[in-house]
Formats: sequence, C-alpha cells, structure tokens
Amino acid sequence: MKFTISKEMLVKPLQMICGIVERRQTLPILSNVHASVSGNRLTLIATDLEVQMSTHAEILNGSDGSVTIPARKFLDICRALPDEATIVLSADGGEKATIRSARSRFTLSTLPAEDFPCMEAPRDAIRFGIAQDTLKYAIEHTQFAMAQQDVRYYLNGLLMEMAGSVLRFVATDGHRLALCDLVVPEAEELEKFNENQQIIIPRKGVLELSRLLEESDAPVQVAVGNNFIQLKTDQIEFVSKLIDGRFPDYQNVVPVNSDKRIVCERDLLRQALARVSILSNEKFRGVRLEFSPGLLHVHAHNPEQEEAEEEVSIDYDGPNLEMGFNVNYVQDALAACETAQVQLMLSDPNSCCLIHALDDEQCRYIIMPMRL
Amino acid sequence: MSMEQFQDRCPVVWPRAIIHMDMNAFFAAVEQRDFPELRGKPIAVTNGEVGSCIITSSYEARAHGIRTGMRLKEGRRRCPGLIQRPARPEVYARISMAIMQALRDVSPDIEVFSVDEAFLDVTRCQRLHGTPVRMARMVREKVAAVCGLPCSIGVSGDKTTAKFASKLVKPEGFTVIPPWEAQERLRDIPVTALCGIADGIGSFLAQHGALVCGDVGRLPVSVLARRFGNLGRRIWLMCQGKDPDRIHDETPPPKSLGHGKVLPPRTRGREVLLTYLRHMSEKVAARLRRHHLEAQTYFIGLRAGDGWIGDRLRTTQPTHHAPPLFALCRFVMENLWRGEPVCQVQITALDPRPWRQQLDLFAEQDEGNSQIDEVMDRINRCYGELTVAPARLLQRSTMPNVIAPAWKPEGHRQTI
Repeated sequence: MKFTISKEMLVKPLQMICGIVERRQTLPILSNVHASVSGNRLTLIATDLEVQMSTHAEILNGSDGSVTIPARKFLDICRALPDEATIVLSADGGEKATIRSARSRFTLSTLPAEDFPCMEAPRDAIRFGIAQDTLKYAIEHTQFAMAQQDVRYYLNGLLMEMAGSVLRFVATDGHRLALCDLVVPEAEELEKFNENQQIIIPRKGVLELSRLLEESDAPVQVAVGNNFIQLKTDQIEFVSKLIDGRFPDYQNVVPVNSDKRIVCERDLLRQALARVSILSNEKFRGVRLEFSPGLLHVHAHNPEQEEAEEEVSIDYDGPNLEMGFNVNYVQDALAACETAQVQLMLSDPNSCCLIHALDDEQCRYIIMPMRL
Repeated sequence: MSMEQFQDRCPVVWPRAIIHMDMNAFFAAVEQRDFPELRGKPIAVTNGEVGSCIITSSYEARAHGIRTGMRLKEGRRRCPGLIQRPARPEVYARISMAIMQALRDVSPDIEVFSVDEAFLDVTRCQRLHGTPVRMARMVREKVAAVCGLPCSIGVSGDKTTAKFASKLVKPEGFTVIPPWEAQERLRDIPVTALCGIADGIGSFLAQHGALVCGDVGRLPVSVLARRFGNLGRRIWLMCQGKDPDRIHDETPPPKSLGHGKVLPPRTRGREVLLTYLRHMSEKVAARLRRHHLEAQTYFIGLRAGDGWIGDRLRTTQPTHHAPPLFALCRFVMENLWRGEPVCQVQITALDPRPWRQQLDLFAEQDEGNSQIDEVMDRINRCYGELTVAPARLLQRSTMPNVIAPAWKPEGHRQTI
C-alpha cells in the first residue's frame, strides 16, 4: 500500500479519531490506527474496543491496501511537518512503514491490518436523522452530570430514551441529575422503538461525541442496534458499544410536588456563588442558601473558619427556607440554563431542588441537598 | 550561678518559647508505679502475655541494651532477669489524658505529639506565668502531681530545638536552650539527631557535604527546596534553630481511618482469616460511626511475606456498616488470596467524610441495619468494645488492642 496526501487533508481527520487511542495499552494494536486506501480515498480507523471512530481523506494518488501504524507517533510527525507539506506513506507488507516528505524520512513499525479489531456496524438497527447542532446541544447540556468511575457502572454514561417523537437524554451521578428533551422530526422511524426503550452510551463515547459534533444543522444519521449505537456524518463514523445495565428510575426523582417557586437573575446568582465558593470547604464544597421573601442569603465557611456571605435579590414570597448544596452542582446547572432568568423549585431541606430556565423546561436539573 | 537562676533573676521576654515534655519510659514507668515489686527491676512491656515484641522497657532494662522493637527472645538473651509485663493501653491512655489536661493550665497552646509527649507554646504566657524556664518547672511539677511519673523537659524557641533539648538528658532531664543560643548549640550536632531527619534526608544532606546542622545552613536553601519542597525549607531552618513549625492543637479531619492486626506466624486458615477480617471490619465501621463519618473506598490487605495481597475496593455507596465492608473482605479472600500464609490483616477507610452530608437521589435501603448498629454501639459504649458482636467474633483472636503512637486525647485518634 502506498499513498500521497497533503498534510492539510490528513491532519484534521487524524486528529478527530486519535482522541480515543489510549496512551497505555495492553493490546499493542490498539495504539495503532488502521489506514486503508481504496481508489483515491484513505480511510482511518481507531478503536479502544468500546468506541470506534473512522474518518476519511482524499489522497493525491496511491495504490490500494491497508496497514496499521502507531497512531500518536503518526499524528505527531504529520503535525510537525510544514503546513504545505506533501506526505508519502508506503508499507510493503513488511514490519515497517515509511513516511517521506521533502527532506524528511521516518520509519514506523506496523502491525497486520487483518488483526485490527474492527467493530461491525449494527445490522438490525433503527435509524433516524437529526441535526448535528441539536444533538450536540442535548449532549452538552447533560453530560457534565454523568458519574465518573462509579461502582454503579450504569451511571458512567448517558441515557438516551426514545418515547414517541421525543428523544430524551438523562445523566446522573446519584447526587444530581440532568435531563434534556429533543423533538425529532423523523418520528415514524422512532415509533419502531419499543415503548420507552432506553440505551446507555458509555461516558468516553459521550465525551468524544460532544467534541466531534459541529454547530451546524447538517444531519447526523443515528442507528441504534441491540448493543451498539452508530452515528454518521459526512466526515466521520462513530460506533459505540452500549452499557448493558438498568438505569435507575429517574422519573421517580423528578420532583412534582415542590411548592416553593423562586425566580432569579442567573448571572447575579452565578457570580455570587462563584465568590462565596472560594471559602467553601475545598473537598465537600458545601454552601448554605437561605431563602426568604425577596432575598437569598448565600453563606460558606471553610475548616480554617474563614467565611463568605452574599445577598441576592430573588422573586419569592414563600416561608423562610434554609438548605445546603454542593456549590459545583448548582453552578453546573446554572451554567447550562443559558437564559437571563432561572427558576428553582424547592419543597424542604431534605428534598431535591429542580432548576430550569424560566418558562422553558426542555432542560431540567435536579440537585440533592447537603446537610451542613 | 546556674542557668536557671540566671534566667529567673533577669527575665527576658523570649520572642518565641516552646516547651517539650517527654515522659520517661512511659509504659514501663506506669507499671513500676502501680506494682512496687517491679521498681528497680528490668522490665519489658509487651502486647499482652502473648506479644513477643518489646513495646518499651524500663531504664534498668535499657542498661542491658534492651531497645523498643526488640524481640522478647533477644531481650532475654541480653538480660536474663528481664520481667515481661502485658501492656495496659487503657490505663496509659487515661494517665496520658490526665497529664495533657493538667498541662493546659500552663498554656492552652498545646500539641499532643504522641501518647507520652507534648509541645507547649508558652510565648503568650510569659506575662502571666513568668519566664519560659519557670513555666517548664511548672510543667514538671504538674506531671509529678498528676501521675508521679518522671519526665524530661526541653525548653527553647522552636519545636525542633526543644525536642532536641529534652532528649539530651534522660531520665528526668531539664535542658534550656535560649533561642539566641540555639543555632550555636546545634552547630556541631549530626543532622540526623533532629526529629524528622532520618536516613533518607540525612544521606541527601551528606551527599551535599552537610553532616552537622551547621553545614546545612551554609547550603543554599534552594538545594533542599528543589528536592523536598516545603519540607526542605523547613529542614534548612530547623538546622539553624529556627524551626518555623507552629503548635498544631487541632486534630485535622482524618485522611484515612483504619485498623489492623498482626497474626500468629504463618496463619493460613480461611475461616481464621475471615474472622480476623470481620473483627477489623467491625472496628473500622464502629469507629466511623462514633465520629459520624462514612467512607466508600477501602484498602483491604493481607500481609504475606514482604508484600500485601489486597486492593483498594469500593462499596456501592458510602457506608459505615460492617457487612458491606466484610463483603469486600470476602471478595479479596475469594479472588486475590491463593492460600499464602498471612502475618497481618489491615482494613483502612481511604475517603472518610461526614456521614450523609451529601444526600443521594437513589439511596438504597441501608445495607447494614442502622437500628441494630445503634443499639450495639450503645451497649458497647457502656460495657466495652465488642461486648455485643457478630457470632463469628466469638472465635476471634484474644490478641489485645494496641495503643497507636499517633494516639490523641480527642477526636478520631482517641482509639485503641
């Protein structure tokens, strides 16, 4: 196999997929990228056995064939070459591949392409299309609430639930929860799903997706199989295994009987929390919120007995209420709301708080309090 | 005119004044106090009748070359008349607590450094009580009044020099190094004689040509800072009699919390090991509960030969109940232990945090039964540890509890 390509055409697709190549591998071939040429098209594939990504690039000329080469070294070399460089890669089926460009020459070790563990795209899949920016929005407004290395492995991912024409995304780490609803135009396909069918996309795949999806209304084709999800855009094909587990019954924890409604300016509250949090306990991040008619009092102190206090005007006329929260959780939710005003729904100091943009419940955030 | 008399007649306010109080052969002295027949005899305190390691020994024994950490067998060889006494940790803890309480009358700024040692910062008491030397005498009198046991006292302007001074004369020493003389007095002292400088740092300093404290001050501070960070900067100052470390009178929240036990040599019975692990699970869980803590990550370890068999494991949810902890132990026994002979077990909670501070959205039913634990804790508080315990512990080892060197009169370290 041999191909000639401009640096400009190669680096971007290579960068897109190299993110999933783990730095330390038990299986050596997983540090490699699979490169194959067919006609004037170069296809690049990377995988970590959970997530697989492939991209393509147009080559100037070449001969068909395939090889695997160390992904990061290949990327680093290409990146370090001058911008206008033309790169020639040749692999004759031996143990080495050669990269040449002007007066530079590199020899990389290879592994046989047929040993590369490619994942099969799901066959009996349900397919639908959705705009990239819509999907990106849903992921970015929920993914921060996913758990990280939780023993409850099914929390280390993003739930996607299909119900009628609504596609719902839910992430939770057990302390807080983020939920986002999307309305999908091609609803006929969605109806093939079982009632409220749920899938859980693993954390790593979710993070890669939010990186890859673009702020454009170009479509992404989604295919959901038994234990795979595939997403396809013009540039990239993304396949991820799904987490085989039962997501907790999140609907049970969405509060419905909260009787205390608070409306406030989002930026004022965020800034006040940002200042107060400086003196909250560095490890547990607790802040005390005291709601009274018209006024929110925010208070924090640390083990050194240093204290911070802030007052924020709010729209509230209920009884006084005092609650503790992990300030990071509140800040994450407020950051995701993106409107000038936000609404908080509360009931008592031991029950969760529901936050969403004022008059817009597409995204909802639920936070369990702390006992301070 | 002695130093002491001079100090009393010409009171000079010290910019900083630290007293270090160190009980002499504490456990052995308590035994000799309570059992007159032991006075003047070489005795070795061990962990119970079965313990074979000498925890401490009387000065009569030390004269024969007996040292802490020595095996009893070796001790007997060096000193045929050596008398073994089982340790009574509860008694030592009680006396220590009384001593530390009495020292608070001298200065409230007190750091209980270990069960038999304390630092007092008396800088701010000089107008109230007089010179640091006078206060040091008060300390000696208080200790004598509370327990009638001997102690050594060191007085200086910083912690390291004060500790160095108390060590100079034992037993019943009383050494004063005024802060303005500290640097001169330490100049020719080997660096490793200072508390906190052991072989590692010592050999680093030796490589840079610094064998005695006076040499260290001549090194650029950056040499030590590059290698040891802030500790390096502190050592540089320590060697010049200017240890900046303040009195730590607070017990910081625990970074970890654990219990372990040394086993009879080459223990390999599965059920025996499980009983030990259950025992430690109960102890760790009860201690977490006593201090209103919970934890989710635990180290479960079996010491075999030179290494540990075991792992850091996580419970589904943060807990302070023994059963989920014991479940982790079973996991280690079934998956990591291959029948190797074990000499020690250890369970440590690695991320203790306030109990149920952050509420959970999907809190499951308590894995242990909270009510049972509560009743058990109340009974055991009245009648002693593990008076009520899981049936498996009926077969538990009779090895007595050991008082930890890091024991403190308050907080989570107040445990045996």
